[in-house]
Amino acid sequence: MKKTFSNTYIFIYSAVLVVVAALILTVVAVSLKPLQTRNQQAETKQMILKTIGVEATRENADKLYAEHITENELCDKGYIYYSYKGGVIIPLHGTGLWGPIWGYLALDGNGIVVGAVFDHKGETPGLGGEIASDKFAQRFIGKKFSGQPIVLRKNADKGNPYEVDAISGGTMTSNGVTAMMEDAFERYSSLNALTIDNKEDEQ
Amino acid sequence: MKNFDLIKLPFSKNNPILVQVLGVCSCLAVTAQLKPAVVMALSVTVVVVLANVIISLLRNTIPPRIRIIVQLVVVSTLVVLVDQVLKAYVYDVSKQLSVFVGLIITNCIVMGRLEAFAMVQKPWASLLDGLGNGLGYSVILIVLGFVRELFGSGTLWGYPVMEKLGLYGIGYENNGLMIMPPMALILVGLIIWWHRSRNKDLCEQ
Repeated sequence: MKKTFSNTYIFIYSAVLVVVAALILTVVAVSLKPLQTRNQQAETKQMILKTIGVEATRENADKLYAEHITENELCDKGYIYYSYKGGVIIPLHGTGLWGPIWGYLALDGNGIVVGAVFDHKGETPGLGGEIASDKFAQRFIGKKFSGQPIVLRKNADKGNPYEVDAISGGTMTSNGVTAMMEDAFERYSSLNALTIDNKEDEQ
Repeated sequence: MKNFDLIKLPFSKNNPILVQVLGVCSCLAVTAQLKPAVVMALSVTVVVVLANVIISLLRNTIPPRIRIIVQLVVVSTLVVLVDQVLKAYVYDVSKQLSVFVGLIITNCIVMGRLEAFAMVQKPWASLLDGLGNGLGYSVILIVLGFVRELFGSGTLWGYPVMEKLGLYGIGYENNGLMIMPPMALILVGLIIWWHRSRNKDLCEQ
């Protein structure tokens, strides 16, 4: 056990070890990349479809997406949104406690939220990570995306169309969602106002 | 019999959390719900077993002066590898893991076992030791996840147990403290108390 190792040995040993580890990781990362990218793209499509109540699996996401969604329209401020039969779907991007959070809101012609979905990169599981749950997303249904931004609040008034109950134990993430909502409102409210004006004209 | 002890002892007399007090950080962080606790328990078990075997195979070639670095390289390579494979083949599981992947690298149990056991023992014994410690860690995580999710959120594995039992109707409320990390610490303290009272020889004078 009391073997001694020369400095040369230590240098060569660590060099070889690191190179071997790097090689293994590179080969694995490169060879798995196409599969991972496909998973991520399918997931985005699944998320968008979910906001309008279409449950897609990873396999049929492409097909259903093509059927239901018109992609890549630009609003007057130059931001992308998506269209479906009953209205528009807007993407959300923001920052939680530990990293990026994102989601999609489906709005009907009156700017009422008909579906929502959220996800995150690394929020604390069971706390902030709960934004990815259906239970949380459903709290947004029926809220209004016009006039003023939706905010997350502790003990929110369920009847108030601009308030959503925040996550207990996930205050920082909830604040991130509020900021994300304000941001989205800034970007898309004019788009939304347009659809509302049209509606009012019709009436 | 000796081999069997390697698996059996970490469950109780030499439990990584209760006795060695290793891996407590992740044990507080991921046990607010049962599901992530189970996923974390499985991942740590897999990583500690593999790392133990690899380090044990290399043990005679590793210069003592850089052994910690070598251990870290092996552990982080394994963890990244596992993460990549999960992302490609079981994407949903990898979503579940999210931040845990990083936490596994820094889990003291992994390095503790490498340093204390795999560096001086044969591969087969190291495999059993890794398995024993991984499972010993898992037991505590699952117990904590069970208690905290049940009393903190009123659910188990996402299933609304308390609601189905109709307890909310008669004035029952979830204990919000349960889902905060301090409560995990208190629960671990209580388990250690109970465990020490059953194993008097572990008590310090």
